[in-house]
Formats: sequence, structure tokens, C-alpha cells
Amino acid sequence: MVEKISSSRRSFLTKIWIGLGITALLQAFAGAITYFMSGRKQIKKNNSKLLRAGTVTDFQPGSVTLIAKGHLYLVCLDDGGFLAISRRCTHLGCAVPWIAERKQFECPCHASIFDITGNVLKSPAPRALDLYPISFEKDWVTINISSPIKRSNFTLEQLVYVQKPG
Amino acid sequence: MSRDLLFHFRPQKVLAVTLRFTLTWGLGGMAALMIMQQLVTGLLLDVFYQPLPVRAYESVQHIQNTIFLGRLVRNMHHWIGHVLIIVVLLHLLRVFFSGAFYPPRRVNWLVGLGLAVLVLLANFSGYLLPWDQLSYWAVTIATSMLSYIPLIGIPLQEMIRGGEEVGAATLQLFYFIHTRLVPAIFFLSLIYHFWFVRKAGGVLLPGQNPATRMDKRKFVPVSPNLFVRELAFAAIVTCVLLLYSMFFDAPLGDMANPHLTPESVKAPWYFLGAQELLLHVHPLVAVFFLPLGIGSFLVLLPFVKTRENKPHPLLKALFLSGIGFLLVLTITGIWFRGPGMRLMWPW
Repeated sequence: MVEKISSSRRSFLTKIWIGLGITALLQAFAGAITYFMSGRKQIKKNNSKLLRAGTVTDFQPGSVTLIAKGHLYLVCLDDGGFLAISRRCTHLGCAVPWIAERKQFECPCHASIFDITGNVLKSPAPRALDLYPISFEKDWVTINISSPIKRSNFTLEQLVYVQKPG
Repeated sequence: MSRDLLFHFRPQKVLAVTLRFTLTWGLGGMAALMIMQQLVTGLLLDVFYQPLPVRAYESVQHIQNTIFLGRLVRNMHHWIGHVLIIVVLLHLLRVFFSGAFYPPRRVNWLVGLGLAVLVLLANFSGYLLPWDQLSYWAVTIATSMLSYIPLIGIPLQEMIRGGEEVGAATLQLFYFIHTRLVPAIFFLSLIYHFWFVRKAGGVLLPGQNPATRMDKRKFVPVSPNLFVRELAFAAIVTCVLLLYSMFFDAPLGDMANPHLTPESVKAPWYFLGAQELLLHVHPLVAVFFLPLGIGSFLVLLPFVKTRENKPHPLLKALFLSGIGFLLVLTITGIWFRGPGMRLMWPW
């Protein structure tokens, strides 16, 4: 007599094999994703650094200075408030030049226009240019370029002063 | 032996009616031929190309200016890459309108869609490699479009760029995708794609009327009938591509400069439809919902049952208007957008 193999046991084993197979696939997939992402994290860690843009006296009120190394502009408004504005257009990432005679940023790719504070004057750009945190060490203007801050538009709280006015 | 190898892909005999050129317009064969040509020219370019930001541009110049026939090889690789996208799109259209995506060809339709995506991926990853202003900023714009996808957009963009901006890591990754990943997947899926055509009994027959079907059951040997036709067609296509590449140079602008975006920079032309749409509708629609919709439509297409395995006229109309819509957007993006994306006449 041949012992009849219980069909429920067989299907149970089959299910286990399928489950293990799917788990292995998911693991391989997650591994592949992590493999690619880990390089990005490493780059981010290395980039997390402070950039010295210059001394406070280097930047006159009402000036826009390109800090090419950090891919950003250091803006000093008329009242002495500082803004570190990313040069990357929020629409599709083109480098936005400062047009001094019209006092605005004009994107060469899709003609978005931003004012001196980075606010959108003309779409398609969906939001104001990104910001970087500024701090003052003695006379140095230091910009943390590790991660840009996204914002929808300019507010007065974003301004950084050497000494608070009034 | 070579004969045996060929007959893995071809039966000994085929139906005489399937020899008619206008049945397929030779589009699938043309695409396969051009992929082979890309493999050969790509290998030749790879001998001298160096995937580093400081070396890439120079090495492309070196290929163009000092290597014997280097310019011709690069021109061919460049132009065939562009034509391939059009041929693949026409192939997809032909298969759709002849209803050749219903069972038993359903799985092969899905494989074909995968191959079409692969052709786009191959073209896009190759776009960056010359590392000139055009390629650098076109890839910047195209990868920036990803950031509009909700939740996964930004991580996806950073994964593809290997950082926040297009740089050395991006070039290395794109080089890997272009020269290793895509060819490997191509090799496997193309074999499957061809084998399945044979398994499904060759190309789909024209006309479904059973009365006329019997007259069409006339078989002829594949060799020489089909082989000679294919060889002649391949020769003509190769001649045209070669001649075009002899007279028209692939563009190579100034070396990539991350500090300066040139005037009138655009995404690669096959993404200009999406870029154009981005100017008119919410970004979420342009780069997420619409591609998702088109993708699901194409994938689900063979699962909608119809009588006689022919696409419903309504389906045809929907498909055709979709293609027309995309065509208008793309043509506007390519020829009617000047510096600063202002609308202008192409002349």
C-alpha cells in the first residue's frame, strides 16, 4: 500500500515555497534599492558643511553676490537683512542668473522670474527659490549648504541680521 | 549550423500571405536591426569613452576628431538612437491597430511595452554621456520633472542623480545603465520577444473571415522567401542610416558647466510632450497621473475582451486621439518654443 500524501500538506508546502520565494525577491529588491541609495547618503554626509561666504563688510546693503562654490546667491537687502538664496530654479532645476539692471532673477529655461527675495514674479516656477541657513561667526558670514530649505514664498522671518534693527 | 540557429527564430515554412511587406511594414525587424547596430557602434565608442566629468567630453572629442571613422560611428549611434524611438512607436501603433495584442500574443505585448520603456531608458541614459552643455542641462531638466511625483519624487530624483545635482555620480550611474544594464535586459527580453512571435504562429493574419481563410493557407519555405526579403530590407535601412550619418553630425556643444544654464535648453525631445504639458497643467497631472494613465491603459489593453479580437472602434478613437495629443505637445515643444520657452514660429 502506498501511503497517500495528504493534499493539504502538499499545498501547505507549496505555499511556503512561494512565500519564501516572494520574501527572497523582496529582499533582493530592497537590497538593490539600498545599494543605490547608500551612495547618495554618503555624498550627503560629505556635503554637510559650512561655507564661509566672506566678511560682513564684503556685502553692501542692496547687493546680490554669487557664491559660485555653494551654487547660491548671498542677498543683502537695503535694511541689512541677509538671505542665502539657492541658484536652482524651483521649476526644473536650471541655474538662475541675477539680472542686475532689472533687479530680478530670470530663468533662461522657462522664463520664470523671481524678485530679490526669491519670490516668484512670473510662473511656471511653483514656489520661491530655496533658502540656506546663515549664521555669523565674529565677522564671517557662514552658510550651511548641507540642505536647502523649501519655502512657498518670502516672509520677514527668513531675514537674518548681524544685529537686529531697532 | 548557422542555418539551425536561424531556424530557432523562424519556422521552416511560413504562410505566403505573411510575406506581404505592408502587413508589418518591417517595423519590428527594423527595430531589432537597429538595436544590433547600436550594440556594434556602442561597443566601438566604448573603447575610447571615459565616464568621468573631467574626461568624458574630451574623450568624445577624441573619438570625433582623431579616431579613424570615429565621427561616423558616433553619428550613427546618435541618429539610430533617435530613429529607434520613432520606429518602436510605429511598431507599437501597427500592433495596436491590427489587434495583435490579444491572446495568445498578450504576454508578448507586455514584453514589448517593457522593451519600449527600455529603448527610452537607453536613449535617455546615453543622452548625458557626451557631457556637453546640451546633455547636462537636458538631463537636469528631465530629472527635475521627477521631483513633482508625490512622496517618492525627491528620493527617486536623488537616487537617479546620485546626489542633489547632476554630477560625477550621475554620469557613472548613467554609464552603467547605458552600457551594462540596458544591453543585458535587452538581450534576454529580445530573445523572448522573438521566440514568442514564433510560438504564437508568426505574425497575425490579415482578415478574420473564415471563408477567405482557407485560400490563404498556402505555405512557402522561409529560405529563401522570407530571408531574402529581410536581408534586402535590412540593407536598405542600413544604407539610409549610413548615408544620413555621413552628412549630418551629431551635436556636441561646449563642455558641461553646472554654473551656466544656456539659453533655450530643453529636455530630450521625447520628453518635450511632458515638459510642454508642465507649462499648462498641474505638475502632478503632467508628470504623474498622465504617464500613469497612459501606462495602465497600455498594460490593461489586452485584458479587455472584445468580439473577434479586434479593438473596439471607441478604443481606437481614444488611442488615436491620445497619440495625436502627445504629438501636438511634442511638436510644439520641439519646434515652437524658443529661448525662455516663448512661443515662436520655427522659421
